Amino acid sequence: MATKAPTQTEFGEVSRIKGIVFKYVSFVASIVGILALGVLLAYVFWDALGLESAGTGWYLAYTGTLLVPLLAFFAYARTRPEVVAGAFELFSLTLAGVMLTVASVIILSIIASPAVWFAYFLTVVGPLLALFVYGQYEREATWVGLAMLLTLVAGPVVGTLGLGILTTLGSLLGSPGVYFLSLVIPGAALAAFLAAERFDASRRLSLGIGVALPALAVVAVPLVDTVPAISRSVWLIALVMLGLPVGYAVANTARTRERRSAFALPVIAVAGFLAGGAIVDAIGATKPSPWLDWQYLTSSPSISNAAEAGLYPAIIGSIFLIVLVSVFTFVFGVGAAIYLEEYAPDNGVLGTATRIINVNISNLAGVPSVVYGLLGLGIFVNIEAQLGPLTYGGFGVGTVFTAALTLSLLILPIVIISAQEAIRSVPSSLRQASYGMGATRWQTIRNVVLPRSLPGILTGTILALGRAIGETAPLIMIGAATTKFSPPAGLFSKLTAMPMQIYAWAFLPGEDFRYGVVAAGVVTLLIVMLTMNSVAILVRNKYQQEAN
Amino acid sequence: MTSQDMASETEAETDDDSLVTTDPGKGGLDENDDRGSVAQTGAGTVIESRDLDVFYGETQALQNIDLAIPENQVTAMIGPSGCGKSTFLRCINRMNDLIDIARVEGSLTFKGKNVYDTDVDPVALRRRIGMVFQHPNPFPKSIYDNVAYGLRIQDKTENMDEVVERSLKKAALWDEVSDRLDDSALDLSGGQQQRLCIARAIAVDPEVILMDEPASALDPIATSQIEDLIEELATEYTVVIVTHNMQQAARISDKTAVFLTGGELVEFDDTDKIFENPESQRVEDYITGKFG
Repeated sequence: MATKAPTQTEFGEVSRIKGIVFKYVSFVASIVGILALGVLLAYVFWDALGLESAGTGWYLAYTGTLLVPLLAFFAYARTRPEVVAGAFELFSLTLAGVMLTVASVIILSIIASPAVWFAYFLTVVGPLLALFVYGQYEREATWVGLAMLLTLVAGPVVGTLGLGILTTLGSLLGSPGVYFLSLVIPGAALAAFLAAERFDASRRLSLGIGVALPALAVVAVPLVDTVPAISRSVWLIALVMLGLPVGYAVANTARTRERRSAFALPVIAVAGFLAGGAIVDAIGATKPSPWLDWQYLTSSPSISNAAEAGLYPAIIGSIFLIVLVSVFTFVFGVGAAIYLEEYAPDNGVLGTATRIINVNISNLAGVPSVVYGLLGLGIFVNIEAQLGPLTYGGFGVGTVFTAALTLSLLILPIVIISAQEAIRSVPSSLRQASYGMGATRWQTIRNVVLPRSLPGILTGTILALGRAIGETAPLIMIGAATTKFSPPAGLFSKLTAMPMQIYAWAFLPGEDFRYGVVAAGVVTLLIVMLTMNSVAILVRNKYQQEAN
Repeated sequence: MTSQDMASETEAETDDDSLVTTDPGKGGLDENDDRGSVAQTGAGTVIESRDLDVFYGETQALQNIDLAIPENQVTAMIGPSGCGKSTFLRCINRMNDLIDIARVEGSLTFKGKNVYDTDVDPVALRRRIGMVFQHPNPFPKSIYDNVAYGLRIQDKTENMDEVVERSLKKAALWDEVSDRLDDSALDLSGGQQQRLCIARAIAVDPEVILMDEPASALDPIATSQIEDLIEELATEYTVVIVTHNMQQAARISDKTAVFLTGGELVEFDDTDKIFENPESQRVEDYITGKFG
């Protein structure tokens, strides 16, 4: 060894103890949070789904029919990336389709009545779609972008002014007619387009697909009528919102030979579920009695009978809120971020002003939510101002509009900061390239900066929306109800939201409320939030792939 | 399409594509004006600077630059790092406007019109003076969309497929990418990306192409391809190139400007003269490698 051979160089040893200690401290720190969340989730799911009461037979049956086959499939797919990709696409698009259907049913038929939706479809959504399609085919028509902007601004005004006439039109058509015109027809056009462009289907086949969708919509109506839970409207919405993503995933998976074995996943899932049910019935095993069930999602809250309690008004209220908040924050947040990053001067007096604004936006992001609640109470509820003939008296105590504005103020700083970060991360060499080609500032932002920063902007916005949907304190401050027995009917009607309802239940004396019902509420809230986050991840991945 | 056809097309287009947006009739740069002003500033001079000073905040980056860049030739600018040669290049198409603290004094004329006059729209100016940057910077779009970018933003969307093909051919890239125009430009190699950037710049038919060390991030083979290309381009365009590589300047340029530390233009002459028999001792020292 070195010590016995003095001619050899002695390197000595460098101590790594501090480094090793640091590494494990960091590891523990990162694990603690995840573990805590995992324990909470397991605890809540256990209560909400009532898994405690299930018998051994039930567990054994489903382990045999569902869990083991699924694990076998994963083991098989592990070495086959194509199968994994196919299975992931089938799973995620089906899930996305279900979520889209639920969201569309809630937004297009419960929050906005079919007639109101039709009014805005005619004045805003329809013209926008038509202009977009026209712009894709006539690339030389540069007025299209401007016309879309105009539609976006003027459409809602026209729709609101002509609401009376337009809703009459919608009522004449009836709600299935409205959805047929506004969803199924555009959906059929989209399906035909995708078939021709993405899957290189022949002209005849893609045309056939375009005709088959509306035909199916009509032909299946007698069948749908036999199922009481599905109304004709829900059928039409689901056909487009669920049918299209699933159809796309199936077509895409069937197209590649190596991917085809991915179809085993849905087969295993469905067959395993049915077989498990049959075995449980046959051997008479005890089933779990979940708190989170269809009844819970569709009934009004109860404060006396835990078994009858439901979250329906709060779910509708929360989703109504989130739709409004996302519109407000996206428009104002992204607009502010673009201005601060791309237009605002960096030097001189105005540069100082920009810096002050930037610092204060960061500060605002840290202001406690209860303070924003107070702000909302002050400026959206309590202030009365007389401006000539116009009187501003706030938007009402605890109304949807007041709550949406307050929550928008709360998350706006976070949205602005994350959008700024995303815009800043666009390499300046790309901007230079664009300016060097003789692009104007707007052209550079539109063609280079925004496409590149959109994934970051969307991720930041959706994560911030996740925070907004879970907020309680600002809603309490503006006087939102904790318990309400009907969903909000319009912008200026009172609402309750999921966290408010959960909060109210948590203080009831009954143990069933405090554990079962609250847990079911928490799980519902988490599912909505995780869905939003997964949409964020999907959108980000899609745009990142396009950007690379 | 022959180059003559293209020239007539350019003429037709530049007429309504004037540099000045406010009042095209007065002091604008239409084709007729150009001829007159070229005659004034000496035959074949496209860009001329007089007493040009550039400041970044308090620091002076260029001092009293007097320079006349000839038409349809390659003019190289060499000098050590930080001597202001890139700054000068960016003055020509007013890319320095994008830096808030940059300030320009003196005059820099393009075809007889001072580009720093208040009635000059820098965007319109940049549409007539193309630029290629040091690091290849294709947009994260398809190869086709990269070349078509300038055409789209300038509303020159007629015969777009043809123009894209012609530009890629001129940039000696067509044979390598003709069967994958829809692939992402980022999948190309560094040298191909830089040629794509050149194709993108010439697609809109500029009058001058500015190149800021276009080969410094490339390997020797890609570099020699770019050099061949520059010599090709000089038959149709005026090329101004900044380079660190003295051999490169000697190989491809007709005229060479030597900038030395402090933002001075020390010598500007025919390339042969600069490299064989420079007037200034400092230039000789720099070229022979005694400093810099």
